[in-house]
Amino acid sequence: MLLTTAAYFSFLAAVFFAYWLAARYRLGALAVVLFANYFFYARWDLAYLAIIPAASTCDFFIGQALHRSTHPGLRRLIVTLSIALNIGLIASVKYLPVLPWVLPLALSFYGFQSLTYTIDIYRRDAQPAESYLAYLASASFFPTTVAGPITRLSTLWPQWSKREMLSAENGGKALFLIGLGLVKKLLIADFLAESLVNRVFDLPKLYSGAEVLAGAYGYALQLYYDFSGYTDIALGSALLLGITLPPNFNRPYAAQNISDFWRRWHISFSNWLRDYLYFSLPGLRSRWKVFAYLNLVITMMLGGLWHGAGWTFLVWGAWHGVGLAVHRWWQTLRGKRTPAPALAARFARAFLTFHFVLIGWIFFRASSLDTARDILYQITSGTISFVNITPAFVLVAVFAAAAHYIPKRWYDGGLRLYCQSPYYAQAAAIAAVVVAIRYAGGASAAPFIYSRF
Amino acid sequence: MLPPMWPKKASLAIVTFGVLVLLLEVAKFARPFTAGEALDFRPRNTPAIEPFAPIPAFKAPAAASRRPILEPNLIDPHDALRAFYLALWRTEVGAPGAVTRVLHYGDSPVTADSITADVRSLLQQHFGDAGHGFVLIAKPWAWYGHRGVEVQGKGWHIAAATQTRARDGFHGLGGVSFEGDTGASSRLVLAEDHAQIEIQYLRQPGGGVLTVEAAGQTLGDVETEGPAKEPGFQTFPLPAGARTIQLSVERGPVRLFGVSFERNTPGVIYNSLGLNGGQVQVVVRYFDKPQWTEELRHQHPDLVVINYGTNESIYADYIERYYPGELRQVIERVKAAVPGASILIMSPMDRGQRDSNSHITTVPALPRLVEIQRQTAAEMNCAFFNTFQAMGGEGTMARWYDSQPRLVSADFTHPLPAGARKVGVLLDQALESGYRQFKAREQQRIAQRETHQ
Repeated sequence: MLLTTAAYFSFLAAVFFAYWLAARYRLGALAVVLFANYFFYARWDLAYLAIIPAASTCDFFIGQALHRSTHPGLRRLIVTLSIALNIGLIASVKYLPVLPWVLPLALSFYGFQSLTYTIDIYRRDAQPAESYLAYLASASFFPTTVAGPITRLSTLWPQWSKREMLSAENGGKALFLIGLGLVKKLLIADFLAESLVNRVFDLPKLYSGAEVLAGAYGYALQLYYDFSGYTDIALGSALLLGITLPPNFNRPYAAQNISDFWRRWHISFSNWLRDYLYFSLPGLRSRWKVFAYLNLVITMMLGGLWHGAGWTFLVWGAWHGVGLAVHRWWQTLRGKRTPAPALAARFARAFLTFHFVLIGWIFFRASSLDTARDILYQITSGTISFVNITPAFVLVAVFAAAAHYIPKRWYDGGLRLYCQSPYYAQAAAIAAVVVAIRYAGGASAAPFIYSRF
Repeated sequence: MLPPMWPKKASLAIVTFGVLVLLLEVAKFARPFTAGEALDFRPRNTPAIEPFAPIPAFKAPAAASRRPILEPNLIDPHDALRAFYLALWRTEVGAPGAVTRVLHYGDSPVTADSITADVRSLLQQHFGDAGHGFVLIAKPWAWYGHRGVEVQGKGWHIAAATQTRARDGFHGLGGVSFEGDTGASSRLVLAEDHAQIEIQYLRQPGGGVLTVEAAGQTLGDVETEGPAKEPGFQTFPLPAGARTIQLSVERGPVRLFGVSFERNTPGVIYNSLGLNGGQVQVVVRYFDKPQWTEELRHQHPDLVVINYGTNESIYADYIERYYPGELRQVIERVKAAVPGASILIMSPMDRGQRDSNSHITTVPALPRLVEIQRQTAAEMNCAFFNTFQAMGGEGTMARWYDSQPRLVSADFTHPLPAGARKVGVLLDQALESGYRQFKAREQQRIAQRETHQ
């Protein structure tokens, strides 16, 4: 049940009405969410009905044990058990030869979220969940299941207990995010992919250097709009139930350097890598600074490998790891921050950072290192022809790029206007989006890129 | 009575949206589609591709009824492939010097040695490997390739018959002319040992000198000076283990068309002669007739495969008015040049496009083009291989695009390696099946004659 399907929206509407009917009673609301979560998993495969409750129950009791235990060795052993359980779950579903075919939904995001629970308790950064039901509902919360955002579980269950009304503003914001997510995914990302990106990345040698470069730019936009479109729908779905999830994107291609990029791109994942992997690696407090740089590279390479067991992802991770390490080293050399740079300098920095990221995306998207090499070769070949670039592609790409850089206050203004509109205007706007997608977009959508991770 | 925490505005918006979607269905907004359709953006199903699904056979001409046709997509009622089968038979029994030579002319998929590399590999596995055959000396398109041979050239002025054509129409066997002044060079690296290399060049007044080296050892010079423009051929034995060949223009100008690698063993040489954008029109209009005739004769082919049609398939009017005549002209030229050779007209693969409903459908004129090819082949005593039907007929590219792994590029035209292999296997199976039937018939005939005597 992908987040762009009729089935999903029918399901979401049913959950919405059931949840708010039961909202007076905390237990009732949690039962609705838990039932919805497991129904959502079961729609992918019934096997999840055994895997998820079992894994969640283990983590719940591990959390309790960690909280009660004071013996450092025992606590380390217990948390290791949780890490082994969740990493084992992620690895087996992703990398074992048979399971990825049997179980269509990777459990990465479930595993990452569960680890935030046990590791936070181990570090005494969080208290264990008081209610078993609240833990189960939080760990398997359906909007975050497919592709995040990776949410610290300790931030979720307090929200079940708040028992606050869904304000008109938040309700409007939720619908706005869902509509925006559909536009991003179906009118922009999928269109760019179908128009040029997929062709160029399939057989780059068939296209001129200019076309391949346009395809690479197109992919950068496609990936952003695909993933942020999914995130918007997930955030909107959660918000309909009064739950606020963490943001995942903040105009990443406006980043001023590679560290800034990772503060803006897939924020929940980069935070997770920082908090639960980078800080856990040995040597960080060593006087030898080289360990800090090395750990950055290792962290990003592992982050790359999480996307898939292939050389292209490893190179992508290493590319970013080295970029982050060099930037960190440069910051150390440069010392304190200089005054805010001029507009031209800001533009130049954003331009360079974007192109650094773009090179990484080529490896991220390419099916093999040979294909990535062919793409880079074609781009540098200097051959110029635009026969495969349609005006519609240019129009959508330019619109997408411009929309990415619009000032935040414009976005906020649009959101405010929508939220203040009467309910029938809100409904009509979403219906208009659906009609627009039906006519301008494809008859069917590609799966979300990150749903396969 | 609604519960106290009921989110009134959001519920009203959702209900109104639902009503609007229902109204769209009832009103058949602009064109009929259901509410489910309007919201259903699920990824397309990914049906498993049956490798050899039941294929409706073309009704063969009456003459064919005298013997069973087990391979429905290889239509050869007049034994047009007899010369090829006899050559293959000689090769199979390992008669000294029994090399079966095939020239496969085609468009962009063949340019990258897609399909042809797979057929070559399969035929050579079964009948012996007599060498790579023809290879261009540089890449007229980044897409050009020949499996098992690395090609790098620099300093050449490249004139392909489909692009910046040579004014005199001298495009050699492969449709591409390479003119180099002093310093132009090419480097070819073979994956396996070969016994000899043949340089195919243009003898011309004022022609320069080309030096041929193998593994750093000079093999000799090619003097291209001659009283008139005419094709020239010079063969050099390759030392054992010499796999790196260097061609250097010692004194310009030198004009080359390609090289050919052969072993001294019985087997099959399957020459891949693809032209990006290739069409029968190009052969008719831009190949100098006497020069091409001489090139063909020099090859002594047992089979000439004419595999054009992909590029023509989008011009319905041209197909009706001019295509049959131009196809006939190409066949006539080949027949006149190599009257003893078999000719096989190989239809293009399916080619897809997005229709107004965004579904991938077969280009409308393609089936008609295939039918014209079949008729022309029958009328001109050529064999016909219906690639289009063999791979599944109409809608194949839609299925290939949706299959896992994908078999065709996102342009719905160019096969990915797995798709090319599938077509290569189909052609090989058809040819080998035809050959087995031919051999069985001949053996039966010989046995009957011996009985009568």
